[in-house]
Amino acid sequence: MTLRNAARNMLPQLEKLLESIPCDYAEARLTIGESTAIALSGLEVESISSGESRGGSLRIFDRGAWSFCSFNDFAEIPSRAESLLRRSARLAGAAPGLCRSRPIIARYSTKTEVPCDDVPFDEKFELVRRYNEILRSPSSVQTTRAMYRDSRSIFLYRNTEGTEVSYDRSFCGVSLAAIAKDGSLIQPYSESAAGYGGFELALGREEMAENAARMAVDLLHAEPAPGGSFNVVMDPHLAGVFIHEAFGHLSEADFIYENARMMELMKRGRRLGIGDLSIVDDGSLEGLAGFIPIDDEGIASGPTYLVRNGVLEGHLHSRETAYRMGEEPGGNARAISAAAQPIVRMTNTYIENGRHRLDEMLDAAEGGLYVADALGGQTNLEMFTFSAGYGREIKNGRPGKLYRDVMLSGNTFQTLSDIAMIGGDRAMFGGLGGCGKKGQSPLPVSFGGPHLMVKNVLIGGRRP
Amino acid sequence: MRIEPPLSLSAKCRWYDVIGVSGRSVGVSYRSNRLYSVSEKESGGCGVRVNVDGRVGFSYAGEAEGVGRAMSRAMEIAPYGDGEDYELPGASMLPSVDCDSGRLEELDEAPLLAGAEEAIERIRSSFPEAEVDLGISFGSGERRILNSAGFEGSYRHSSFSVGITATIVSGDGVRLSVSEGASSTSPVDYGDAVRRLLWKLDRARDVRNVEAGEVPVVCTPKAFASLLGIVISGLSARSIFKGISPFIGKLESRVFHEGFTLLDDPLADGSVYSYPFDDEAVPARTKKIIDRGVIVEWLSNLKYAARLGVRPSGNGSRGHASLPGISTSGVVVDGGARRLDSLLAEARGGLLVDQFIGLGQSNTLTGEFKANLDLAYALENGATAGRVKDCMLVGNLFELLASGPVFSRERIRYGSTLAPFVLFPAVNLVR
Repeated sequence: MTLRNAARNMLPQLEKLLESIPCDYAEARLTIGESTAIALSGLEVESISSGESRGGSLRIFDRGAWSFCSFNDFAEIPSRAESLLRRSARLAGAAPGLCRSRPIIARYSTKTEVPCDDVPFDEKFELVRRYNEILRSPSSVQTTRAMYRDSRSIFLYRNTEGTEVSYDRSFCGVSLAAIAKDGSLIQPYSESAAGYGGFELALGREEMAENAARMAVDLLHAEPAPGGSFNVVMDPHLAGVFIHEAFGHLSEADFIYENARMMELMKRGRRLGIGDLSIVDDGSLEGLAGFIPIDDEGIASGPTYLVRNGVLEGHLHSRETAYRMGEEPGGNARAISAAAQPIVRMTNTYIENGRHRLDEMLDAAEGGLYVADALGGQTNLEMFTFSAGYGREIKNGRPGKLYRDVMLSGNTFQTLSDIAMIGGDRAMFGGLGGCGKKGQSPLPVSFGGPHLMVKNVLIGGRRP
Repeated sequence: MRIEPPLSLSAKCRWYDVIGVSGRSVGVSYRSNRLYSVSEKESGGCGVRVNVDGRVGFSYAGEAEGVGRAMSRAMEIAPYGDGEDYELPGASMLPSVDCDSGRLEELDEAPLLAGAEEAIERIRSSFPEAEVDLGISFGSGERRILNSAGFEGSYRHSSFSVGITATIVSGDGVRLSVSEGASSTSPVDYGDAVRRLLWKLDRARDVRNVEAGEVPVVCTPKAFASLLGIVISGLSARSIFKGISPFIGKLESRVFHEGFTLLDDPLADGSVYSYPFDDEAVPARTKKIIDRGVIVEWLSNLKYAARLGVRPSGNGSRGHASLPGISTSGVVVDGGARRLDSLLAEARGGLLVDQFIGLGQSNTLTGEFKANLDLAYALENGATAGRVKDCMLVGNLFELLASGPVFSRERIRYGSTLAPFVLFPAVNLVR
């Protein structure tokens, strides 16, 4: 039985179930999928696997509270639903309602040039082996991790508004890491690329592997970044991580809608930065890691301006948060799997292009740091930290001396207002990792921006 | 749950093992002081690892009935797999450990909801402006392993966990968010967690400035537990084998201060991190990993124990959809002789740190950490004197643990770790 048929066979039962539930709103999600993963490390085959998964959930909104059940044994759906209804009958929350949507009846399918199903396992293995060889090539590389993953799944969605969606999706990507070593110094560096598409997304990543190996080796001989407050120029990758961590999470309305002070801080019309600053989240950008034709509440994705021309314009919403804040849902209720509850998440988040050239920004940040690539980031919605892959001293208008261990931190609103110049060279990034929130990780997202010049950024390190 | 693979396939393997996991749980979630959702979750599946002609393949399925398909796929890709020449553990005497209190998912949630509302009310009676999120999760499950060496075992496990976060946002955007929690294999009284949370909120009402430079730092057990992850990753046999641990060649050597002793304890009764055998059927045992500053054993699974030629430590860990990695069970750090009061008094002009942001983003392979202070307090005259924020701690944890940490007598459990408060006499503060 094909994946599609196995999932579709369950639909009549689910649809009947939805029709019979006495509630304000209900939805059902099902998925059946297959995945292949290959990870090589140094001279080892660290893991290879090929497997199948299935899961689903039923969610009910009634009298202001959500009831939810998940399952992976489809035969258990009726009994799970019965139990859910018993619990639902005892709940009484305080939420007044949900935004409604017109029904969507659609079939979506990921556009692929080379479907992963058509590629033999040995071809995938050979590709990863080749990348691993490149990563291993410098003599000071101690070990490596070259990872490939693809997944194909059928996602089915139904709700009580009449939405009927099926989505045949394919995700593929690689993550390439080298760890160099010199005595007691150990220096990792990694790069990753992934998105919705086929095997073509994993091809042609030799330069990425070369760069990961070269940077790990170069950083071995770099000094740790000096600590203190610096004017910095961020590259497009780090600018993307910054806007995801520092402002994207803050724009997620489930952090806002029940807190009067957060509502005030995140009020539409508030000026946050210079007139060139515009920030967008857009799940409809095909191919990128955060692409979703509809979200996990059956809302079509599209662009949401969070900031336009320096002024706060919008928020990221689920049906419930949009209702509570009197705004429109933009398709940002996402779940890590069909067995998890949707929560407000980002998709593809970026800063729009501005008007400055890189050389202008480097001149303006003379004596500061050029900071590039990203290892990760975290926020508590007031402060954020993120680590750059590397930093360079800016001297005579050029990036110079290399620094390792570059950790940037700051207050979100202050840092947004400290963005002084915005470049015109936006690029987008996404990888096999993703975003984490409320135990749901890693959710595929992408992020990006152009080069930015930001004043007074705190760099963690010992003072020079 | 039956997970026997078809004999027609298994007979072609040099060895194989099958892991089957299943579980059900109920979650109650309060968000911003009110009941938000109730959820029921069912999960499970099986994973099959095969060794064919000395090479290992792996596959998985979302239900036990898929074991034959998974074995077939695992055998197909095994020729590409790693050469692994260790043997699987056979049937043996297993230790006794209490990790099951029955089918907690069948608990009546009504008294739990009443208790949650009482806890929220208690917090808001002291801090009316606080938004409280509270989650309770309770359930049970089964892990079963069957292998070609004759092992066939299973155990049931249960879990009851509570997480509470209180958030206060002031008019100027300053955000104070304090989290506490508790877990056990049976329903747990989380009154202590609420008391700790109230204490932390109360001490953070005012914000104080601390000058940048080297300052004494006392880490709470919660903060120390998060720092310990940096040490533990270097104690993994995988890191040793791959040459990326700073502890290579230092087994049986004193690497840390003699006051530092760390155990891995999968046999603590009532702990949700306990088990009678690991996810490769290695019998569980409590063991010291660091004994008075000396590294005495690596944490290992079968593969990397064989690579290093050491006895497996019983720390093979996996879900049904992955090959075994290496992880700790319950982590126990010995307490010291001094009371917390005396540590706080000694750290005059320093900090009490409870929560970091961005701790894991540094190059922690070498022990380096750089983290913003999510929740920390200035210390004056042996007591907290307001919250310290907008600054970072920078240091090398291995050097700090070698140069003279002072451990408190008092210990508190956070997640999988039972740890004392720790005073580090000098840590670099950047602002």
